[in-house]
Amino acid sequence: MTKRIRLNATTVNGPTVSPGLWRHPEEQAARYRDLSYWRDFARLLEAGRFDAIFFADMLGAYDVYRGSAAPALEQGIQIPLNDPRYMIPAMAAVTTHLGFAVTMSTTYELPFPVARQLSTLDHLTEGRIGWNIVTSNLDSAAKAFGLKEQFDPHERYARGDDFVAATYKLWEASWDEDALLLDKAQRRYADPARIHDIHHHGPFFDVDGVHLVDPSPQRTPFLFQAGSSEPGRQFAARHAEAVFLNTPTAAATKFIIDDIRRRAEAFGRDPASVLFFPKLTPIVGVTDADAEARYQDFVRYSSTPGIFTLLGAWTGLDFDRVGEDKLLQIAEKADTRGLLESLRRSDPDRKWSTDELAQVFAFGTSALTIGGPQRIADWMEEFIEFTGADGFNVAAVIQPGTIASFIELVVPELQARGRVQKNYGEGTLRQKLSGGGDGRLRLDHPGRQIALAEIRQREITHA
Amino acid sequence: MPKPIKLTLVEQGGPAADSNLWHHPDFALELFKKPAFWEDLARRLERGSFDAIFFADTPAIRADTPYQRNHALAAGGGTRLDPAFLIPIMAAVTENLGFVVTTSISYDQPFALARKFSTLDHLTQGRIGWNIVTNNVKSAALNHGLNDQLPHDVRYDRADEFMDIVYALWNRSWDDDSVPRDPERALYADSAKIHKIEHRGQWFDLEAIHITEPSPQRTPVLFQAGSSARGRQFGATHAECIYLNATSVEETRRLITQVKSLTAAAGRNPDGLLFMPRIIPVIGETEQLAREKFEAFVDGCDPEDALIVLQQWAGIDLRGRAPDEVLDIEALTAGSAGLHAADHLRRLSRDGRRFTVAQLLREYAFGGAGNVTVGTASQIADVMERYVDEAGADGFNVAYMIRSRSLDEFVELVVPELRRRGRIAAPRDKATLRQRLFGWGPSLPADHPGSRITPVTRAV
Repeated sequence: MTKRIRLNATTVNGPTVSPGLWRHPEEQAARYRDLSYWRDFARLLEAGRFDAIFFADMLGAYDVYRGSAAPALEQGIQIPLNDPRYMIPAMAAVTTHLGFAVTMSTTYELPFPVARQLSTLDHLTEGRIGWNIVTSNLDSAAKAFGLKEQFDPHERYARGDDFVAATYKLWEASWDEDALLLDKAQRRYADPARIHDIHHHGPFFDVDGVHLVDPSPQRTPFLFQAGSSEPGRQFAARHAEAVFLNTPTAAATKFIIDDIRRRAEAFGRDPASVLFFPKLTPIVGVTDADAEARYQDFVRYSSTPGIFTLLGAWTGLDFDRVGEDKLLQIAEKADTRGLLESLRRSDPDRKWSTDELAQVFAFGTSALTIGGPQRIADWMEEFIEFTGADGFNVAAVIQPGTIASFIELVVPELQARGRVQKNYGEGTLRQKLSGGGDGRLRLDHPGRQIALAEIRQREITHA
Repeated sequence: MPKPIKLTLVEQGGPAADSNLWHHPDFALELFKKPAFWEDLARRLERGSFDAIFFADTPAIRADTPYQRNHALAAGGGTRLDPAFLIPIMAAVTENLGFVVTTSISYDQPFALARKFSTLDHLTQGRIGWNIVTNNVKSAALNHGLNDQLPHDVRYDRADEFMDIVYALWNRSWDDDSVPRDPERALYADSAKIHKIEHRGQWFDLEAIHITEPSPQRTPVLFQAGSSARGRQFGATHAECIYLNATSVEETRRLITQVKSLTAAAGRNPDGLLFMPRIIPVIGETEQLAREKFEAFVDGCDPEDALIVLQQWAGIDLRGRAPDEVLDIEALTAGSAGLHAADHLRRLSRDGRRFTVAQLLREYAFGGAGNVTVGTASQIADVMERYVDEAGADGFNVAYMIRSRSLDEFVELVVPELRRRGRIAAPRDKATLRQRLFGWGPSLPADHPGSRITPVTRAV
């Protein structure tokens, strides 16, 4: 049985998907403020049998490049950003199966309201919601929330552990299964004896009270995570049901997947139950040559300051001050398509311009794949085989344009190969992604164990 | 020209809003979890000439004791979807309806709340309002990791500082012409026209660029409902619309006059403030039929609801007493002077009203008899006109008995009557909520403190 290739569309609630491409005549992302834009996109993704749409998000401006947020603002890079969580109910209303993964930060929000919001969304979407748990790593975000600077990574993840522990208790240990009665005759909407205050007193968070929403279809939303640092991988191994990756090569991807699965196993979890979604940025044409022409067209619009804004945030380096040698070094490492290599072969003494080097990163630092449907489908299958990943986080170059091309050309090819679903499975997002189950967190997941401990503690206290 | 009457409907993300009658056979119970329910409601409100839907909300169960907690949970108070998420569903299927959502200042950070409302203002195309609350429930504090509520007046001091920050983010971070979206100059936004807001205060520190580009109204239309003295001061300073719970024309007139004088003292045009009392209409074809309908509603109520209302609002506990016991109101309320309902009861008692336990519970079946307006459509319209013409009200926050039948009756019977009397303004096509309510906008007027804010700003 060949593994089903799952598909997420990754996006942001802002005007730019790829730096500079907001200027492309076919780019629609500037309509990000309109509900109709997102509703149409959701319908498209559902027609293309995508599992979910994932909204990345951040809470501050990128300001490493040139020591200022000006380049980010000028190119619309991760600012402005509307809050994506409020788009989801409108998208859910026009779809039946598509899932929604929303980013919420454990550094800047509180467990009680986050739990309530995700349960609200889980009800309104009938169990199609996922939470991308982030611990936030921007100084500008820290200052927006009144901190002098951000917490260090270990403290951030310790805070994240404490945060999710409180939310597990709210989702899994507050309302019993049979608490909701809906009994008009007896005037008992719910049985108060089956609804419990949870008591969480951790190093960072205190919560005392009942969860303010009755159990939603998944109770705990499907849990995503995306940090690939060492503490990030520990966190993923403990909590994530699926992990988003953005590593430059297949080898690097495989390394992280194996590593996180090993760690998950050490935590008592079935390693195969953790799903992995490496990033994929496809530029699709009817033929390989078409696709290459599309790429050449897109790259003309790419913005060097925009690219350096993103790179600045990812590497911590200000490319306005970094020497050209260093930039070339980084470009060569990221040059997974051998672009520089092949150009150097044709002109060994070539001196690169900054724009040329920047263009290596124009559409991300990983997994830019250009071709007709067969080439892309082949690449995807090989990547999955080699790395053990479970699907892809598909990024747009222009949106919905390049996603629409992918759906039109590549999805049918993969469906014909039996690799992408022709029809959706039944049930909640968790059931669809896991291929079955009762829709709740698995018993070997720490969320169930933390909830059980809370329930036992309550029984002891009341005994 | 008769003054037009504004209409908003009270709703909530739970099995019932203000109504106690969730258990009534006709009450639509679980539909509130379905997007289709809200889409349908939105369309009906828009067709029914409502200006907005108003979402009440408290991020906790209202309970001071285990007894109250258990009753609240049994009565459906333990499920409350976050109402902000209902708005996009309704915005997508309407063009004119406004959305007012309650959000507490006590548990949100200014940066995040500013982003929330800018997002909602964008996706509703400028039809959003914010009902500002500071919360007065200990259980809410405990939910959010605080030991207790801040003292009452301190909460409002903190709220004033909170407002300074969100005004700055909404109105001083991105200039009007800061988003040229110009492909020729490769400028999506013009960084020279965008500013970092810096705030160092008693409760909050912040250094940030507002993360969204300017939305149609920038500042949501500001609603408020606090009835304490400090609350009224806060409302007079910040609110554009004030929701009232006053139960008589005279009481409403006094309140409106008082708040308007506070508003003028704050340097604002008092006509820039709209007042909207709550009304719970019970409509019958004849007055007699309306009365019978109301009595049937009261019969259908759970007496424990009234018992708890009296505990929470009047400080009196009637548990364990015989239903036909005649009450000594003076003695009962001796310890609760200052509580609004206790004062009201004492006034009634001094006017010669006598209550048995059963009678008082019936009186408070819906939080006090003055809250409910019983009569024919014409009589209800008469009452509404009196509040507008004699007390100076500008419109009403309409609460229902039965979801959704009561709304349908109101739209079918009372709205046409109001229209006949020239009390329904002609719709302004695709106006923002501020323009619809005031005729000006879309941003705050110049005399509002939000327009006059002078924060410290820095280059980005």
